[in-house]
Amino acid sequence: MFVVKVITVLVIGAAIGVLYRIPRGVLVYGSVTGLAAWLVYYGLSGVGVGIVSASFFGSLSVGFLSEILARALRKPATIFIIPGFIPLVPGGQAYTTMRFLVEGRQLDALAMGVQTILIAGAIAFGIFASVTAYRLAVTNNSKSEIDHVDKS
Amino acid sequence: MVMAIRLEYIMSLTVLAGEVMLKNGAETSRVEETMEHIARACGATNVECFVIPTGVFLTVEEPSGRSLTTMRRVKDRTINLDRIAKVNELSRRLADKRIKYDDARALLERIAQERTGFSLLPSMVASGLVAGGFAILQDGSALETVAAFCSAAMVRYIAHVVSQMHGVRFTFEFLGGLTAALVGSLLYSIWPFLNQDVIIVSGLMPLVPGVAITNAIRDIIAGDFLSGMSRGLEAALTSVAVAMGVVLVLAVHTVR
Repeated sequence: MFVVKVITVLVIGAAIGVLYRIPRGVLVYGSVTGLAAWLVYYGLSGVGVGIVSASFFGSLSVGFLSEILARALRKPATIFIIPGFIPLVPGGQAYTTMRFLVEGRQLDALAMGVQTILIAGAIAFGIFASVTAYRLAVTNNSKSEIDHVDKS
Repeated sequence: MVMAIRLEYIMSLTVLAGEVMLKNGAETSRVEETMEHIARACGATNVECFVIPTGVFLTVEEPSGRSLTTMRRVKDRTINLDRIAKVNELSRRLADKRIKYDDARALLERIAQERTGFSLLPSMVASGLVAGGFAILQDGSALETVAAFCSAAMVRYIAHVVSQMHGVRFTFEFLGGLTAALVGSLLYSIWPFLNQDVIIVSGLMPLVPGVAITNAIRDIIAGDFLSGMSRGLEAALTSVAVAMGVVLVLAVHTVR
């Protein structure tokens, strides 16, 4: 089952790339970013880490990997971030919130809604933190290379 | 550049580059930086640009001190990361002086007009694959995976039809949520052994506003708070539109 899921995540990444019109040559890197994020998420939640923290670390890896790939391949980092974080999106939780609301289970809906928002926030903050950390590291390492980062 | 390029030409090339990037979903700081690189590569001494999600403002100044300011309103926005990467590459080539102004201009116009990427059928298949993949990730059965695939492919077809009608914003997302939920609950009422939640959630995944979310985060990191906030709002409203479509179906379904 695990192997099937790994392949599935790779396919999802490439399919998202097609949807967002990512240059064909780098579709596979988007897939790999998505797989890395999902593996971190899946592994961490497998060993008992909370789902919010697992999402945070998953998206942290998306940010780092995207910046590294953007620099290596000289393409905008956005190309790798989008297929990277979409496997982490809390679609199920958001849907369950709506369902609870419709069924009149307000308290359950509130709990699930808060969880959805926390996961979404964790993903956003994970990308935020990793991109900022990466830029800080690069800026400290070599001033002359900043130009290339900005352009790539 | 040995021979000076007229300021008007610099301005029109730069503003076109900015417009193409913004139209296709680039983040604010990237548009501003690319425009600045292009204008400087063409010989402008001072470049100021201000980009918000709905427009581009640009001032270029030449060595003699003469300056020009222009503004370009961007109305229709789509998502085409391929074009962004291409304009980015173009600006890098201009900055490295590997391409002349005239060639750059022709190339940029071609990038702006060419139909890049994938046509309807591949988009439908891709949308279906995303949904089917999420069904598998949620431990859905083979039938549920196929159902999710079909509903997402249908959603993409609706998107194609709606985009040709130049509809109101968020129509497509609303209709997409509606369709995904309809397919899920209809299939469930025909075959109750299917898990309708898995089908609906998977059908919704291709509707996630990935570009808006990413750009909102990146704009805020870069300090472009105005753009960041408006893109965050766009992402939130898109999600709400999808949710409304789903809730409508679920409400009818539950009341019955």
